[in-house]
Amino acid sequence: MKLFVFPRWANKTRLIAGAALGGAPIYLTAFVWYGFSPKTTDVGYQPKQPVPYSHELHVGELGIDCRYCHTTVDQAAFAAIPPTQTCMNCHTLVHPTSPKLLPVRESAATGQPVQWVKVHDLPDYAYFNHSAHVTRGVGCVSCHGRVDRMEVVYQQETLSMEWCLDCHRNPEPHLRPPSEVTNMNWTPPGDPIAYGAQLREQNNIHPPTDCSTCHR
Amino acid sequence: MSSMKPKSLQDPSTVSSGELKTPCDAADMPASAAADTSAAPSHWRSLAELDNDPEFREFVAREFKTPLEEMPLSSKGRRRFMQLMGASFALAGCRWKEDKLLPFSERPEGFVPGEPVFYATAMDIAGVATGLWAKSFDGRPIKIEGNPNSASSLGATNTYHQGSILGLYDPDRSQQVVRRAGQRTPSSWADFDRAAGELIAQARAAGGRGVAVLSEASSSPTLASLRSRFLQAMPQATWVAYEPSHSASAEQGIELAFGQRLRAVLAPERADVLVSLDADLLCPSTDGGLAYSRAIASRRDPSGSMSRIYAVESSITEIGSMADHRVALRASQIAAVVAYLDAELSAQARPPAALGAAQPRPDAKFLEDAGVKKVLDVIVKDLLAHRGSSLITVGSRQPAEVHAVVHRLNTLLGNVGKTIRYVEEADRISGGAADLAALVAEIEAGRVETLLILGGNPVYNAPVDVPFAAALGKVKNSIRLGLYEDETSRLCTWHVPQAHYLEAWGDARAFDGTVLIAQPTIAPLHGGRSAIELIAGLLGLPRTSGQDLVRATHDASDDKVWRRAVHDGTLGSAALAVEPVLRPIASMTLTEAALGSADGIDKLELVLELDPAVHDGRFANNGWLQEMSHPLTKISWGNALMIAPITAERLGLRDGFLATLTLEGRSVELPVAFTPGQAPGTLTVNLGYGRKVAGRVGGLVDEDVEVVGTDTYALFTAKAGAIAVGATVTPLNRRPDVLANTQDLYAIDDIGARGRDERLPQLLRETTLSDYQAHPEVIKHKVHHPPRLNLWHDPVSYDGHKWGMAIDLNKCTGCNACVIACAAENNTPVVGKHEVARGREMNWLRVERYFKGDREQADARQMPVLCMQCENAPCEQVCPVGATLHSSEGLNDMVYNRCIGTRYCSNNCPYKVRRFNYRNYNLDVYGTTPYTGTDDPRAKLRSMAFNPDVTVRGRGVMEKCTFCVQRIQNVKIKAKNARRPVEDGEIKTACEQACPTGAYVFGDLNDKKSRVAKAHGEPRAYELLQELNNRTRVQYLARISNPHPELATEDGHSERH
Repeated sequence: MKLFVFPRWANKTRLIAGAALGGAPIYLTAFVWYGFSPKTTDVGYQPKQPVPYSHELHVGELGIDCRYCHTTVDQAAFAAIPPTQTCMNCHTLVHPTSPKLLPVRESAATGQPVQWVKVHDLPDYAYFNHSAHVTRGVGCVSCHGRVDRMEVVYQQETLSMEWCLDCHRNPEPHLRPPSEVTNMNWTPPGDPIAYGAQLREQNNIHPPTDCSTCHR
Repeated sequence: MSSMKPKSLQDPSTVSSGELKTPCDAADMPASAAADTSAAPSHWRSLAELDNDPEFREFVAREFKTPLEEMPLSSKGRRRFMQLMGASFALAGCRWKEDKLLPFSERPEGFVPGEPVFYATAMDIAGVATGLWAKSFDGRPIKIEGNPNSASSLGATNTYHQGSILGLYDPDRSQQVVRRAGQRTPSSWADFDRAAGELIAQARAAGGRGVAVLSEASSSPTLASLRSRFLQAMPQATWVAYEPSHSASAEQGIELAFGQRLRAVLAPERADVLVSLDADLLCPSTDGGLAYSRAIASRRDPSGSMSRIYAVESSITEIGSMADHRVALRASQIAAVVAYLDAELSAQARPPAALGAAQPRPDAKFLEDAGVKKVLDVIVKDLLAHRGSSLITVGSRQPAEVHAVVHRLNTLLGNVGKTIRYVEEADRISGGAADLAALVAEIEAGRVETLLILGGNPVYNAPVDVPFAAALGKVKNSIRLGLYEDETSRLCTWHVPQAHYLEAWGDARAFDGTVLIAQPTIAPLHGGRSAIELIAGLLGLPRTSGQDLVRATHDASDDKVWRRAVHDGTLGSAALAVEPVLRPIASMTLTEAALGSADGIDKLELVLELDPAVHDGRFANNGWLQEMSHPLTKISWGNALMIAPITAERLGLRDGFLATLTLEGRSVELPVAFTPGQAPGTLTVNLGYGRKVAGRVGGLVDEDVEVVGTDTYALFTAKAGAIAVGATVTPLNRRPDVLANTQDLYAIDDIGARGRDERLPQLLRETTLSDYQAHPEVIKHKVHHPPRLNLWHDPVSYDGHKWGMAIDLNKCTGCNACVIACAAENNTPVVGKHEVARGREMNWLRVERYFKGDREQADARQMPVLCMQCENAPCEQVCPVGATLHSSEGLNDMVYNRCIGTRYCSNNCPYKVRRFNYRNYNLDVYGTTPYTGTDDPRAKLRSMAFNPDVTVRGRGVMEKCTFCVQRIQNVKIKAKNARRPVEDGEIKTACEQACPTGAYVFGDLNDKKSRVAKAHGEPRAYELLQELNNRTRVQYLARISNPHPELATEDGHSERH
């Protein structure tokens, strides 16, 4: 068996090879850390929806409250996407023949659902309950951003576990009176932290950080 | 990753909404926000902090919530970076498959997506009906609970009910109408309606001559009324019912005793003394079993007035496990026992002459056994001392005369109207081997041209001396309504799919005569029809919808009454009691078998009984039920020959080896299971196995799916009946391919085994009532250990909720309903026979079966074991990735997504309650994985049974009981939303809710008034392996027995120290 000997020209490549071998794992790690983080993959996710529904128009301009459509947000885990009949409440009279609303009218006629694409998609092993948050005074805007300024809904926050824990460990900056939960423009009177602490005390808010809170 | 295509990712700077502000920016906090600046801090990290200037305050308030554009590590910046690196095309699409949200087009009023709703319904299994609640999630039922408002269940369920969900979503169910004329051709309901309509029309013209209906047993008043209408429309037709478990003895016994057709309804909660003669009131196939379980268990509390239970039986039954005294005698000897009891009781109680003469004292060999005679004499004594508060029950296997004598005994003891009452028997459909034989005779005589088979599976479960399968071939038109296209359907000319009970309207009658209403919780998945709809359709009735038919039967034209009945699940009240008059009963002629000796291997007695898992075979394709281990033999995926060790050894049999069982010239091969406590000379074998056309779980020979177990119907004869004498067993010198024994698998050497057995009295602690009342501390003192100290200080103080559980060993009967309930609630995968044999069964909860006594005379003890949720959990300490952690409420949390599968936690668990997913069981068995989903329609159908509140685990992940944390969380959230505390009993774990006897108690230990806190405070509460200082949250309440003072032995005394 002949011993393998590097050819002489390989001597010139030693520096580069060494740098590559040493740098590759660091580069790959950074790449994955950076590129696969929810901040990269999730924030800004803005899928195309079957109907060009504009929250900016309906919520921002027209002033419809979040709960008019997302009715179960304070009763159940899911803040339900409204059924087609909710849309038709107005759209039988408002723009009744608009081509943008064709999928909605078809759904109302056939009984088939409109196939919305989920924007804020948590992994299946994480269980989030809207009612627990909404009834305690976490505003819609805290997690979903300024929906009233979104022509097309995109994901504002990472919704990563780290991000959830940041609030669970320190909820004061994100609390508001439960009555103001859907108010996109709400600002706390005075110091947000102090006000939040006060609300926390008043409403007996103790966000758990146990694993079983969300992982079942 | 599946979606590698570029997404429509807009550069955030082009978003029309202007700057992307972060939530706190929306607050637009003025820079001069006041902060608490009263005193300068003594320690500070920066000048800005010391000065507490406005920018600093703003910084603190905004923390990490900065506008996107500002931070270089902001998302926009990151994406830009990735784009620049040229990787964005790949990575921007690096997201899991997009999820769709499909709302209703028109949402039903009050429907909250994702919130389960309970609907009352009822399930009728071979004429035994129970009121249930079906938990419906997003329009499909996913879990069955008992209906707390129905006396037939009192909120509990048995194994069959819990398993029925899987049966609903079974992909092997029949999905189409099939015509068999030579070969199998798929057809349609339209074609069937036409063809069957013609047949019936022709038959009607001839008065119904040549038409016969063979149905399974049913307590449905609607079906009974349709039967009457059917026979009215076609007087020459016959309607026969057949059920292999049918026994006419109970009815005939009452007829002999009282001369009327009545039904006995028991009230065991009022019985201070309960004598069970080859009966099992607690067994799932007993009518009223769930109610009786609760009633009997309510009298087993040592702090209350405790009852005494005697059991005389051949095989250890559930009530035998609970009994204070158990005598193992052959089932055929019960007749002599009853005669003896009558002779003695009548002699001592001297009943009035009107009740007739007593049975003569039998010259039975077993009376020569001093031990047996003593117990029987004590029974007599105890019964006499408790007249009016005692109860003697006898099993349906026993002949009618024995039943009659027992009714006489209950009457002369004054129990009627107190612990037993008689009610008018309603019209129920039932029938047995004799009826089937009559039908076969009709067919053989050529008098049946059209046969309609409703449910059942007579080709599989007919007695072997009633040649039904052959006869079926002679019927010109045979129509089968069935859930599966099984053995019977294959021989019929038409097969039409049946609607599952969860898909159809129906009604039933409970054990006490109450009418139960069953409503559908999902539209028929495969277009099936129920029996009542089919019959109504064939009769050409104007209204054929199930709901109309049921409503009409009960005259529920008033909408309000009807809606209330459907809501409650019950209609009307229990049947009224009558006061029958006892007639004199003739002397029984006792057979040689009845009088024979208590031990004899020359004439073995064989009892064929329904299986606690698969019933008569109808649940053979149910994975959860097949995987459930038999309460006595602990064998799953198959049946075994239960035989007393002494008899087995005399026959040269070896435990775990195969043997040939022969009866009247017919033989089957079965694995032998040495069963301590089994009466010598008796064999007990379960029916319901060996099916060749059950499905891909239970056995499908055509598709090379292994047949599960042995078909013991080959030994089931109409002639021999339920108790056959004269069986022989010969050993075979080989083992079965796989014997899935869940408990006795683990190889351990002799010393280890002895050590383990020495320890058992510490694990399953028990003592007698008198000992416990005299020395309550005896239970806690069964284990001596030095004071338990922690190596580290207790970091957690449980100020909020402190979850705990208590399991009362006095109440556990080993029925295993909790095991199936847990599997249903927590998406436990079914792993199959081979994996179970390797010790890889996935049930989070197991019921351990131990024996007490010696080889000759043993009693069984049952003990459920689940995750103890230790405060000092050994598993938490060794997880390298922190996948199992302790919650602030005391739960041992299991985080599946973090687990990397080192299995160190399971290694460290002393209770061995952790289960590892060695394979992707969901993929292997169900064809679906949690990762990629599936398009396979079978898998999609099966996945509908999953509970969405619980993660479906993949391979390489450890799992274990979580105290149903999803239920805890849901109730906590609801309570908090409503600003009220959680009440005791509001959170019910799946096991607790299913248990018929109420052995489990779950609750908040911090609530001093809760049931669980009281249970933990009892002197008989103990922790399992407490010397290990695990501080388990699950405590067991020791088993306290109540032996008669004359029969108490040294075992009953505690160890004095």
